[in-house]
Amino acid sequence: MLYIKADVPFELYEINILKANDEELTKISRELGLALNLEEMKKIKNYFERIGRNPYDIELQSIAQAWSEHCCYKSSKCYLREYLFNIDADYVISAIKEDAGVVSFDEEYAYVVAMESHNHPSAIEPYGGAATGVGGILRDVLCMGAQPVALVDPLFFGDLDTEYEKLPKGTKHPLYLLSGVVSGIRDYGNRVGIPTVAGMVFFDESYLTNCLVNVGCIGIVKKDKIIHSKAGNVGDLFILAGGLTGRDGIHGVTFASAELNEESEEESRSAVQLGNPIIKEPLIHACLEIVEKNLLTGMKDLGGGGLSCVIGEMALSAGFGAEVWLDKVPLKEKGMAPWEIWISESQERMMLTVNPKHVDEVLYIFNKWDIPAVVVGRVTSDKKLRVYYKGYKIYDLDIDFVVKAVEYCREYKVKDIVEKDETTPIHYFENLILKMLEHPNVASREWIIRQYDHQVRASTVLTPLQGMANEETHGDAAVIRPTNSWKGLALTTDVNPWMCKINPFWGTASSFDEMIRNLVSVNSKPHSFADCLNFGNPEKPDRMGEFVECVKALGWMAKGFKLPCVSGNVSFYNETPYSAVAPTPTLMGIGIVEDVRELVTSHFKGKGDIVLVGETKKEFGGSLYCRITKQESTIVPKTSPEKLKKYAETMLSAFKQFRIYACHDLSEGGLAVTLSEMCISGIGCKVRVKDYVELFSESNTRWVVEVSGGEEFVNYLKERGVEAKLIGESCDDSLKIDSLKIEIHVDKLRESWRRGITKYTG
Amino acid sequence: MDIDEIKVAVVRIEGTNCEEETVKAFKECGVFAECVHLKQFYSDMIRDNEQRSFNDYNCIVFPGGFSAGDYIRAGAIFSARLKSVLKKDLEDFIKNGYPVLGICNGFQVLVELGALPGFDEDKPISDKPMMALTINNSSKFECRPCFLKHENKGKCIFTWKLGKKEVVMFPVAHAEGKVTFPMEKEQEYVETLRSNDQIVFRYVDRDGNYSGYPWNPNGSIYNIAGICNVLGNVMGMMPHPERAFWYPYTQGRVIFESVIEYMKRL
Repeated sequence: MLYIKADVPFELYEINILKANDEELTKISRELGLALNLEEMKKIKNYFERIGRNPYDIELQSIAQAWSEHCCYKSSKCYLREYLFNIDADYVISAIKEDAGVVSFDEEYAYVVAMESHNHPSAIEPYGGAATGVGGILRDVLCMGAQPVALVDPLFFGDLDTEYEKLPKGTKHPLYLLSGVVSGIRDYGNRVGIPTVAGMVFFDESYLTNCLVNVGCIGIVKKDKIIHSKAGNVGDLFILAGGLTGRDGIHGVTFASAELNEESEEESRSAVQLGNPIIKEPLIHACLEIVEKNLLTGMKDLGGGGLSCVIGEMALSAGFGAEVWLDKVPLKEKGMAPWEIWISESQERMMLTVNPKHVDEVLYIFNKWDIPAVVVGRVTSDKKLRVYYKGYKIYDLDIDFVVKAVEYCREYKVKDIVEKDETTPIHYFENLILKMLEHPNVASREWIIRQYDHQVRASTVLTPLQGMANEETHGDAAVIRPTNSWKGLALTTDVNPWMCKINPFWGTASSFDEMIRNLVSVNSKPHSFADCLNFGNPEKPDRMGEFVECVKALGWMAKGFKLPCVSGNVSFYNETPYSAVAPTPTLMGIGIVEDVRELVTSHFKGKGDIVLVGETKKEFGGSLYCRITKQESTIVPKTSPEKLKKYAETMLSAFKQFRIYACHDLSEGGLAVTLSEMCISGIGCKVRVKDYVELFSESNTRWVVEVSGGEEFVNYLKERGVEAKLIGESCDDSLKIDSLKIEIHVDKLRESWRRGITKYTG
Repeated sequence: MDIDEIKVAVVRIEGTNCEEETVKAFKECGVFAECVHLKQFYSDMIRDNEQRSFNDYNCIVFPGGFSAGDYIRAGAIFSARLKSVLKKDLEDFIKNGYPVLGICNGFQVLVELGALPGFDEDKPISDKPMMALTINNSSKFECRPCFLKHENKGKCIFTWKLGKKEVVMFPVAHAEGKVTFPMEKEQEYVETLRSNDQIVFRYVDRDGNYSGYPWNPNGSIYNIAGICNVLGNVMGMMPHPERAFWYPYTQGRVIFESVIEYMKRL
């Protein structure tokens, strides 16, 4: 018998692993939903042979959580360590090690950064998946003792015009997913009162069966109040606070660590958690009140793996052990087996360690906010984790064995890329520009942005829409002012999946370049970044090859630029039998704005010369030009960290010397789209452009600047080795490029740009 | 009253989420202000040093947010809780001429409570709600800048320092902000509000003309953005003055300065 009912008055099984052969080990993994492979099962068997007994179900389930790709990064760790981690910057307080990165903001404050994905749940249940994604990232920031101050949401879907008949079985239409995800973020983010200030939306057929929902959060904390994600001292008590524990979100992490298929909808619905922002909102207040009064010694949120992960990880980081009284956990429903309580991923829960003398005070504060909170365990001195249920010991394992888990340097294969360009100019530029503006990857995001409260907390200085009221255009980055000083934080999220698909290395380098460009555009100094790396199945060498190339590029750019990667997340298995996602290394860039009164916006003010900064080459790989004209190029734009750094620093120093009216970077659609977007708020321009390459190429490290004294500005840049040229002036009310016979009224530009998304969403 | 005697309570429950910036705005104007949980006014479980009564304050503010989640009707739960434990206290507070402000969700709370439109001088809180803030015409949450024309002729104590017909820009952020009256009384109520000088703000376009969507973000009747009660000391508005308080949009400050000026004269 593989499963033996234990002689206790509740549901508990001994798993007869000691007697199981290889076939049976695989069967156990499958039947219990462990998602562990045979090697891993054998490793577990060895451990139990050594301690001379069979595991209980709760112990096996617990190991499966800790060893899931989602929790332990077993496939990615070795490459991340080799290429990306350990970029020195003296202002980083904590990077990578905890739930969120912590970076010095000024003498008194630090900002906290976290980013992660909620892809699988959102593909199954877009509203709940996206909402709990927001909830999870807020807890990651909160558990550092920080007040969350802004959210960002990069989203990726299949093409909106996908025909319903062509949807693979079990797949939801991209339009349904888009509305569900946006509603989920809106209803959670708006209720919890944290502004959603930035993000991106990208449509590509590779996301048809796997939408990507990434989410990032920034918080602010006084440096002397930073809390660490580890248990305080031996004898401290574990307090579980927040939502009740139920059967929602069981096997969330193991489900996220395998490919989806057409049955996932039926089988995995219960793996999606249920969010409740109206528990989260007071939970934030209560936790921060407890932090402010110095009543806790450690704090961590319950995310993937639930209690099973949080307690083990908190104890291990502190070098201690723990004992847990599982029957104290407040439940949503009766009849839950201990293993279900232990691994449930029910939302809105935080774990605190508190010195016994402060327990009453802590419980009072939670009670004041009507938040359930109970003592569920104790920190012990040995590195063992023991769980008791109704007086029976049902779990007794070495924490090292469970948490330190496994690690693979998986085999990978880098694909050969032959660089060639077959592009030619086309005849009707005006038409093409309007088509570009209407393309869903460029078109106005107003339909999404206005549904998010991006101004709650009254600290958003630069909103995602900039310009004249109700005629705004897109900005490059949003800026918040988190404290009373004039200093601000600029936020942007960037990735170019089309480029990454053709060439993962240069596509990733280009995404990094774009992130820096956006931060510089608003006059902020790039300070740190976080990443969320979304890829297919890592067990396939081709996918792993994409991942390794991307991490290499990211490490090369970040090290050369000296920009620390402070937090991150890897999401593999974004793949179905139908397709894998384009390599999608989403980046969240954070810049420091020395004085928010000196911000630069993106729309023309009609007062200056127009300067194109940077070098334009024939680089059309992954470009919007190729996509719309159906032409071919595999030459993805190149860049280098040294050049990018020089350009960024020179631009920022020029911003101090000159009167800058507007600045916008060049990305999808090249110069044509950049100029159009700058015109959309009402003021046109008259410029000279050489040819289709200069107008549409997507070469990196370029900006358009509206400045008073264009020639002096150009000279200033050139003297410092930065390419720039005066191309015209801002004036009138149309986009006018005489040299290419282009003249389009701004109303017409705006109309096309606004239609791109709303023609689908209504 | 001296400026340092003025005390403002911004009342919170779970899901109110604009209380901190509202407190910050009052403090910036030099008066004492604090967030107070509704339970601090009535619950036994609250410790002595945290217990409060309306008498401790000269001004009560109901902030923006999603009180109790607003899953039923915006403001319904918060107002029901207020009504069950503090109706009398609040009625006395209003009758004594102390100012009460509701912003966004706070406006919805005051409407659900019956404190607005507040036509009856002797009965500042009606038994039943007389109006509603219903779902925006666009059926969507709308976060956008709005231009507001100041229409009050002097009754509303929250706009004393704002010029007649002056246009200001405050942002809105709500899904339920459309001022709606019972259909058969629509004209009558608008007329009463006008003749009582209870209309405070109306939505206008950039040039100051009464216009439709998106300038009027929710479809409110008569473009109404904010009103006060017949006494002029209770005001509710959907737009957020506390969000237009700090650089670069600072016109909201006048609301806070006006009510402080009023309290100084009490």
